[in-house]
Amino acid sequence: MAVLDPPLMIFIAGLAVASAIALQARSKDGEDGTRAMIDSGLVFSVVGLMSSGWTYAIHNSILDSGSTTMCASEGLVQCGSVIGDPNWNNLFGIPWGITGLLSFSLLFFLFLSMRMDMHAKWAESFELYSLLAGLAGLPFVAFLVFVELTQVKGAPHICPFCTVAHLSLIGFLATAHALRVRRKSW
Amino acid sequence: MARRRRMAAPKGRDDDVRLMAALVTFGVTSMILMAVMFLAPVVKVGPSEGELAPDFSAQAYSGGEWEGFRLSDLFNKSWVPGGDGHWIIVQYIDTDCPYCWSEGEMMSQLHSQWNQEVTFVTVVVELGIQGHDSSRGEVEAFRDKTPYDGCNTNSNCADRPGNPHSWIYIDDLNSRTSGDWELPGTPFAALLQPDGIVAWNHNQPENHPTGEEMAGALQRLVGGS
Repeated sequence: MAVLDPPLMIFIAGLAVASAIALQARSKDGEDGTRAMIDSGLVFSVVGLMSSGWTYAIHNSILDSGSTTMCASEGLVQCGSVIGDPNWNNLFGIPWGITGLLSFSLLFFLFLSMRMDMHAKWAESFELYSLLAGLAGLPFVAFLVFVELTQVKGAPHICPFCTVAHLSLIGFLATAHALRVRRKSW
Repeated sequence: MARRRRMAAPKGRDDDVRLMAALVTFGVTSMILMAVMFLAPVVKVGPSEGELAPDFSAQAYSGGEWEGFRLSDLFNKSWVPGGDGHWIIVQYIDTDCPYCWSEGEMMSQLHSQWNQEVTFVTVVVELGIQGHDSSRGEVEAFRDKTPYDGCNTNSNCADRPGNPHSWIYIDDLNSRTSGDWELPGTPFAALLQPDGIVAWNHNQPENHPTGEEMAGALQRLVGGS
């Protein structure tokens, strides 16, 4: 069963760690709290990168052999019918996994830059860019959830690795918002 | 005299760290991509010979009700060259295109000759040309050779050359698949190996013996002569 897949457990653990860091950061004042909040966003973006990469590997595996051992292909919680659906598994021919990799790379870059120099002149702009980039991803997440629940063959299905990527984006967005709030209260 | 000093706001670093951040991001992303390639190498998908044929799912007509159809359901991924397995002809037509109209007869002949070894799939698109409006009714009539005014722009579908076709016709009147298949026009045909790899593409004559058409390709690749 997909829920017991070791990679999925690792990704879920990553989400839990990122959430725990964010919760701790909220109770800390000053620079330490801000730094912890950025760390949380970085962990969310790394989990997003890894889960996107995993979905791209599943995509390639299904193309190559018609099926995959990297995720379940039967039942409600599965990847085969979602990532393997030729009508919905790409954005203008680009697999969603690649789209996710590129998007989370951008988010990772923005937060890493801020982590390396929180007091730089451009740091405030990068906070705003992070928030806007995260918000820009939300309609895509909503669309993909709609697709897996209603459009793919045999719907509804829930692709667990796709869901990890979606949760990573939402978690990242929450940290980006929290950073903005912190800066305004300085 | 006592001097009061204002506490200075923390200053950023003198060097710009963004380049370093970009390099680290590039490195992390590259490592993840390399791991993906190691786990499941990229499969080249496209209509060119040697590539995996672009998959599609659409509604299909084979004489009864329109039903769901997925091209990759025909693929046999465990096929090895020389082994048993059904090859696949994917033919793209427009029911109003005069060349597709006259090709109907050749397709009937090819199907009679090769239907034991080859699965025929005809995908019907609607070219953006005046007078090329089509419909499912026209697709059914073109396939079945039944009375319907409108095939070949203004002919009766019952007059189409060749016999009624007994193989599957796909509705792609909204041209969802033509981009992936890089459709240059109609008619177009490709012959796929049983595992879905494109073995022969009508538009790559430079790879074929001079003047080879679909009948010759079937003879050479499926018939083995």
